Amino acid sequence: MHEGVAAYVLGVLDEDEHEAFERHLDTCASCQAELKELAETPDLLDELKFLPAASEDDPPMPMPR
Amino acid sequence: MLTHVDDRFESADAEAEHRTASLHREFGGPLRRHVRGLTGNDLRWTEDVVREAIGKAGRDPARRHWEPGLLWAWLVTEARRLVRDGCRRDGVHAQETAADGADRALSAIVVSAALRDLSEEHREVIEQTYLRGRTISEAAEILGIPPGTVKSRLYYGIKALRALLADKGVAG
Repeated sequence: MHEGVAAYVLGVLDEDEHEAFERHLDTCASCQAELKELAETPDLLDELKFLPAASEDDPPMPMPR
Repeated sequence: MLTHVDDRFESADAEAEHRTASLHREFGGPLRRHVRGLTGNDLRWTEDVVREAIGKAGRDPARRHWEPGLLWAWLVTEARRLVRDGCRRDGVHAQETAADGADRALSAIVVSAALRDLSEEHREVIEQTYLRGRTISEAAEILGIPPGTVKSRLYYGIKALRALLADKGVAG
């Protein structure tokens, strides 16, 4: 369950798993600590939108269609 | 007896409302600023997301005793999920804001370089989930590996990415 914190922070869990992880988070101090630590990481990945020039090698656009 | 039960519900509702109002006072401003960055400065969308995230936190008794740092982390996570759900549902991109162009391009280059420094396994799951707007199970199908493996690699991949970015002096 604990490893789900990264998927939770990135918002890529399926709906039922998301609900289950939130209930786990209610009481799990270590996941609460990791949530605090990781909460801003998606913002860094979002920076990829601002890559000046896209080439074949560059990662794809961060926002879903 | 019924009146008794009704009273209890009513007071739970009142408590949630009170709690929601106090969360709005404490987090409303910063959360609105944060979400504007996610919605590309779409003010109406931002307002809906902020109201929904804070309302959910206010209604949930489990969050009542969380300290502010944890509540903030939960709120930004929930807000991001709401924005992404909106993108998926309506098929829209958030407009990119033009502010801080040079700074942002610089961090984009740093983040992109850090991604390239990750192991193939770690980079692949970050790309196939978050960066392509897919869930764990969708990515698992594409990669042909179990969802649990995607979840686990994503965890270690994100940790590794954070460590690389910390080395490069990027916080987060």
